[in-house]
Parts: sequence; structure tokens; C-alpha cells
Amino acid sequence: MANNHKWGMVIDIDKCTGCQACVVACQSENNIPINTEDLVLQRRAFQWIRIERYWEGTYPDIKARFMPILCQHCENAPCEPVCPVYATYHNNEGLNVQVYNRCIGTRYCANNCPYQVRFFNYWEPEWPEELKSQLNPDVTVRSRGIMEKCTFCVQKIRRAQVEVEQRDGEAIDDEQLRTRNLNPACVQACPSDVLVFGDFNDPNSRVAELSHDERHYKLFEHLGTDPNVIYLKKIDLEAEDEDHH
Amino acid sequence: MPTSRSLKVVLALSLLVTVSLVGLVLFGLLRAWWSTPISVFGFVPGQVEQPIEFPHPVHVEEAGIQCDFCHRSVAKSEAATVPPLELCVACHMDLPNGTFAGMGHPSVEHVKELWEKGEPLDWKRVHRVPDHVQFMHEPHLNFFREQQGLETQQVCSLCHGDVGAMNEVRQVEDLKMRDCVDCHKQNNAPTDCVICHY
Repeated sequence: MANNHKWGMVIDIDKCTGCQACVVACQSENNIPINTEDLVLQRRAFQWIRIERYWEGTYPDIKARFMPILCQHCENAPCEPVCPVYATYHNNEGLNVQVYNRCIGTRYCANNCPYQVRFFNYWEPEWPEELKSQLNPDVTVRSRGIMEKCTFCVQKIRRAQVEVEQRDGEAIDDEQLRTRNLNPACVQACPSDVLVFGDFNDPNSRVAELSHDERHYKLFEHLGTDPNVIYLKKIDLEAEDEDHH
Repeated sequence: MPTSRSLKVVLALSLLVTVSLVGLVLFGLLRAWWSTPISVFGFVPGQVEQPIEFPHPVHVEEAGIQCDFCHRSVAKSEAATVPPLELCVACHMDLPNGTFAGMGHPSVEHVKELWEKGEPLDWKRVHRVPDHVQFMHEPHLNFFREQQGLETQQVCSLCHGDVGAMNEVRQVEDLKMRDCVDCHKQNNAPTDCVICHY
């Protein structure tokens, strides 16, 4: 790679309304199998990005909390060293990569992931005939026995590298990602600008700026996984009042 | 004694036959794995029957048309694309008279017939990499053209062979991962898995 990127995401919990637009966008961008009732009941539903919902307090004094969870693309990923065939590894752009054609389906990685963001294809994915032509040709359809997870829409990153860097000889910045629709599907779909994607190595990017925000924290930071996804804390004036009592 | 000797011969022969059969099957499987399947039962690897006979030499060697004149997207997107019927007609039809160049050739007559009926030409795909490989034509073509100074036709022939001389297009290179990685290493291109597999 000509430029040294470090892709990452900042998620502002304070803005999230739990609308699930990111979940739907991800589902259609990445050829994710349809989550039937059976699959959900078996706890085998696929959600590369999911909205976790928490209740705080008791009725009527209750608050709903939403938290988008996706692969954290850890710099020190617990899923990587346990793979016996190197099907998951860390590339030099900060991505935790799953190589489908190398995967033999041991599921060690999913068991070792503290964020529960890896999904195993227990069955061959099926789509109704009329939905088959909406599959994204840039993304492999994973067959039975393969582990899959969020890729940060690497197909769009590749497209950015080819179209912006190689074809036009320009640098990939926030503006290019946004105007050319090269942000990950979840980021593009988010109506309240919760999810911000970009290059941490680009000092002018929004992610670089937001990563120094005073509200920032990482999920399970104490485990030492060093995720490339940064969360910004919910602003709750009442909660702060309680703290100061 | 003669019975036991003949029994031994039969046993030895059957052992020989079994071993050679197993060896043959293994050889076939290994060959299919490392390169292309052996042509048996009338199956010729890399050869596809097209809806019309399209002689590349007539267009490339005689008329001197460049690859990317018909395969228009090759320098602009991931797919090289096969030309639609309209592109054939655009060259073959003489607009003021409405006559067709090359009439009398069954292919041209078929093209004219389809054009009049308004039906598309259903080209069959010859080169296909597995689903888990995401190959983009654009960066490859542009790299060799701009950085190695090759002509378009030379670049295409690196993977597709000399199509300009083929009356019937067939796959000449294996296009296995080995070929990709060797070339990437020779040209200092990245060999990160996620460059092609996602």
C-alpha cells in the first residue's frame, strides 16, 4: 500500500436511537443470510452489527440505552492466535481479516472473542429466488462451515484504494469517503451520525479528532485487546447529578 | 500345484490392476487440483461454445481493433465486460443504406436477425475465477500500461493468451492462485490475503 492507513470507527452512544438502520444496511451490503425465526431461536442469527438494548432504572423512572456492537478490529485480537490455519489475521491497515477460503470452521475464534461478533455458517445460506439478484457481487457468499464477521466493508475500502488512490491519484479522506459512498454501509445508513468511519493515521479525519474526545472509551479495555472501535460515552445530566450527591 | 500357481498369477494381476487404477485416479485428482482437469468424456477444459462463431483474428489481426474497443470497461472497472449486440451492429451496419457488412457469413446474419428481433446476444463466459476471488481488471491493466509501458494487447495476453489469434476463445492459463501470487511477488504488488479475498 502506498499510504499507511489505520482504519477505525468512532461510535457516539449519545446519538444512537436504536433504529436498526445500520443492521439492515449491513445485512444487504454484505450478503448476510436472512435471519429466520428458527435461526434466532437457535441463537444462530447473523448480525455483523447489532444494537444491544439495556434498561436503566425501573418503571416509570426508566431509560432505554442502545449500543451498536460490531467487530472491534482489535490490534491485539484474541481470535487471531487461536486459528490453526491462519484464516484470521491482522493486516497492516488495522483490519482484522477473515479469509473465507482458508477457514476450516473450527470455531475457536468465535469462542475466544469477548465481543461475540463472529458468526458461523451452520447451514448453506438460502435466499428466495427473487432476492438472489440483489446479492452484492463484490462480497463472497459464505458457504456452510465458514466463520464470518464484520469486515469494515473492506470491499469499499478496496474500491476507495482503486478509484481514489490509483485512478485519480488523490488521498482517501473523509470527504472522498462520504461523497463517493465509500463509507461502510452502516455508517452511510446511520440517520443520526452515530457511526463515524475513517483513517486514524490521517490527522485531519473526524475519527482522529473524536478519538481524543473526553468521553472516549473502548469496550473491555482491561482485556488489553486494543480495539480500533472507539465509543463515546452517553451524556446523562441526571446520572452525573447522582454521582455528585 | 498348477491351481495354486495360477491363483498366484491371478492375485498378482488383480493387485497390479488395483494399484494402477488407484494410481490413475490419484493422478487425475492431483492434476485437477494443481492445474486443470484432464479432458475426458468430450470435456475440453477452458473451451466454451458461444452462440455465434466470433473469429477474433478477423477483428484483431485484420481490422486492427484494440481489445478495449469492444471490452470497454476493462480500464474503468473491475469487469472487462463482453460487448452488447449494439456494438457489433454499430460497426457492421452501414447506416445510410441500412446494409450489413459481412453478409453471407452465418454469424453476421445471425447478428442481423437478433438485431431486427431486438434480442440480445447471449455470450458465454470463458474465464471465471472462484467466487471467493475478487479480481479487478482496472488496476492490473493500468499498472502494466503505465508503469511497465506495455500495450493493451500485451497486458491482456499475460493472463488470457493471444486471444487475437484464436478463432474460438478458450482459457489457456490455469489462473490458479499460484499464478496470481507469483506475478504479484515479481511486481512488488501486495500479497495481503484481503487484497483479493473478501
